[in-house]
Amino acid sequence: MGKSWLRDYIVKRLIYAVIIAWGILTITFVLVRVGPNSPVDEYLANIAARGSDPAQVTAAIEARYGLDKPIYVQYFDYMGNLVRGNFGWSFSTSMPVIDLIKTHWIYSFQLVLLSSLFAAFLGMLIGIYSAVRQYTKTDYAFTFLSFIGVSLPVFWFGIMLILLFSVKLGIFKTYYDTTLPLFSLGNLKALVLPVITLGTGMLAGYVRYTRSNMLDNLKKAYVTTARAKGLPERTVIGKHVFRNALLPLVTIIMFDLGSVVFGGAYLTEIVFGIPGLGQISFNAVFANDYPVVVAVTLIGTFVVLLVNLVTDISYTYLDPRIKYG
Amino acid sequence: MKKFGIGLALALAIITLTAGCTKGEVSTVGKGDFIDGDSGGDAETLNWILAADATSFSYAGHTVDSLATFDNQWNVQLRCLAKDIEVSPNGLVYTVTIRNDLKWSNGSQVTAEDYVYTLKNLMFSDWLNYPYKSDWQEDVDGKSVFVTLQVVNDTTFTITRQTVYPEFIYTIYNLIPYPKYIALNYEGNAEGFNQAPEFNNLTYTGNLGPYRFKEWIRNDRFVVERNPDYYLGKDVGAPYFDQYIIKLFGTPEARQAALEAGDITSTGIEPAQVNRFRSMPNINVYTVPTSGYTLLAYNQRANGWEGLRDKKVRQALSMAINKQTISQAIMLGFAEPAYSFIPAVSPWYTDEGISKYGVVPLYDKQKALELLYQEGYGIKDNNGNVKAANKDGTPLHLVLVTSTGSKPAEDMAFSIRKDLLDLGIETEIKLVPWATLIRQYVMNTVPGSKKEPAYNNGPEAVSQQSWDFILMGFGTNILAPSGSNVFFTTGGGLNYFGYSNIQVDELFKRARSIEALDKSARQQIYAEMSRVISDDQPVDFLIFSRVNVGFQQNVVGIEPGINMSYNYYLWKFGPVK
Repeated sequence: MGKSWLRDYIVKRLIYAVIIAWGILTITFVLVRVGPNSPVDEYLANIAARGSDPAQVTAAIEARYGLDKPIYVQYFDYMGNLVRGNFGWSFSTSMPVIDLIKTHWIYSFQLVLLSSLFAAFLGMLIGIYSAVRQYTKTDYAFTFLSFIGVSLPVFWFGIMLILLFSVKLGIFKTYYDTTLPLFSLGNLKALVLPVITLGTGMLAGYVRYTRSNMLDNLKKAYVTTARAKGLPERTVIGKHVFRNALLPLVTIIMFDLGSVVFGGAYLTEIVFGIPGLGQISFNAVFANDYPVVVAVTLIGTFVVLLVNLVTDISYTYLDPRIKYG
Repeated sequence: MKKFGIGLALALAIITLTAGCTKGEVSTVGKGDFIDGDSGGDAETLNWILAADATSFSYAGHTVDSLATFDNQWNVQLRCLAKDIEVSPNGLVYTVTIRNDLKWSNGSQVTAEDYVYTLKNLMFSDWLNYPYKSDWQEDVDGKSVFVTLQVVNDTTFTITRQTVYPEFIYTIYNLIPYPKYIALNYEGNAEGFNQAPEFNNLTYTGNLGPYRFKEWIRNDRFVVERNPDYYLGKDVGAPYFDQYIIKLFGTPEARQAALEAGDITSTGIEPAQVNRFRSMPNINVYTVPTSGYTLLAYNQRANGWEGLRDKKVRQALSMAINKQTISQAIMLGFAEPAYSFIPAVSPWYTDEGISKYGVVPLYDKQKALELLYQEGYGIKDNNGNVKAANKDGTPLHLVLVTSTGSKPAEDMAFSIRKDLLDLGIETEIKLVPWATLIRQYVMNTVPGSKKEPAYNNGPEAVSQQSWDFILMGFGTNILAPSGSNVFFTTGGGLNYFGYSNIQVDELFKRARSIEALDKSARQQIYAEMSRVISDDQPVDFLIFSRVNVGFQQNVVGIEPGINMSYNYYLWKFGPVK
């Protein structure tokens, strides 16, 4: 009962999440459907090569998927299905949207999770080291490297890694192999280059944030007090300074995690041929496959809202002074 | 930190060593998996009758053969046909005889009834919305009617037309059947048919194709496995690959790297990379022609520059655009200048009488300026030098639009701008996404009309945004070029540039008439058509592209050519040299 305010807070946030998700869903649906584009646009070359009339082909495809109905009818049809747990049929991939997402989310999730862990773990370690050894040659070297890391274009970096480690050295396969079992060393190996590609930019950012937060805290009076009390330096840094520096860092890491799941990893997925949700949603946008676009946006919205909620809750554990009314 | 660094290095080393070296996983001798790297996008569906895209047909085609195909010299290669299609002397009745050893997955025989059912009850139906219905329709007394079908016996059926269309036979050759015994369960139920597991997983294909469906992970891989019962292969043991895998890549660079590393068996090679791949001992690169061409459309509608409605002006502009620069400097020699919509590899191609604008002697900027001046679109300075201009003498600013994402197209746009600048024409290049190009520049509607925009809404229609040139790729059906009527006839469904020439309309009609049953007469019609269109220059035909395909050196049985995959079920891995 000691944290009943927390339960109330979570319930309230979940109700808000549903309302926000409905709003985003409606806006996304309208944006996708009000646009004049037709799913047939991208097949124009084939239609032309066959000598067929694009108007007839467009009419047939749109009639099949109900795209010839008024927008409001399509919207209520879609919402009705959604309430019954039916996310619809993806007409650009010919499978139920929910099955499409079930098949592909794991590819994005494992990439993002491992990249985040890699970036957060290494980034914080290097950041702490840089802060503690401020203005040493190592600090300068890490600062220089982190600026490079932040500036590296993912697309270029990924290709370079492939050329070096896959083509020249033959250590890794040039593309991600979906036939590998999820929990296998082979899968872990296949993810090394994509994780480095996606994680390097994040890592460099975390180094800068950690260093800066650590330096802010190192200057505070409680550090002097702790040292004056004779606490070992490892305890001062690890238990006091780092814990206080962690709070803003958690916000950034969680935000990165949320934003990167549905789209941020797209370029890495493209370079390494990983069929994750980034690729799926990107292709769906171009194919005007609105059931997929809306479903992915909806799930993405929930993930971001959930991550924010978890972040807010984690604050109360990291800093017991924080309470939500 | 040092300990951590050592730990990380060790972890990476363990991963690397324990998972083994992956380089060269493609099988090198005998059987193995053929991995075809592609970056052109995934298929829409395996339920191919619903598809509008070419990739869906290509995926399904690994498991079900059509009635016939063609080799690199355009000789008919029978597939499900027992003998070639017989055409009645009046060109109206087509008798199709299929093999008697074709089986569905349940062991039942594939019969003429399955083909007729597929056409009559599926493709021609109102409920299924088959997108290419019009392939099987003809205009009779101003009405669109379907061809009529008749089952003669288990292996023979006839298709009867009321009007002559000699190239209709190529539509029939491409026919693939659906199993009547399964399709009956979904008849009239579009949603059920659309989502039918049998059709979406190709479980019915029996012995009809060299491979059987195994797996399709969207945006990743399409996998088919060897079909030991394949009717063409059972006597020779073909196909020889255990699996045929189409692996999708996001970029050409990624798939080329995969070929170089030996992770895949084959992929297309970008022109700039061809020499590098040719120098690799483990790779064979084949350069083959295509039916695709790039053109510069001249907007002859009311929202284009008025000069473009004048044939002489179009000729002048085409005369100033250097096709050798495009084919040699931009396409690095992997293209040839185009002068009409029929490529040189087509049996209907003729060189005779064609106006070859853009190459010497019809590449001549001075002559182009003189032509423009004669037509009133030029001004002369005191030295007698001509510069292109509007009729009122004001400078000419024209707009060239092309879609983003193609480096060669962008380079071509800039090359054209440079050529036109030499005439005194300022060209603004607009690079827009494909959807924008289609919706705002290509599709048109009559101002004030409530009619939905279409690719050709009649001569009065104009696009939402004004333009003067559109740089775009088109394709020609090499065996049936009369399909290009959609581009070049007055009412053609893709004639977005507003070209109209009664003589051309008439020639396209004649290409689909009884007169064209005689192949030499049809040849004459196409020769005349090419001559008139190349003279009219409704568009500047720029280049016909060639593609380069790289294979691991140990793949044997390939016959390089425009239809090089026609015998792919006989390809195999040979020993590495």
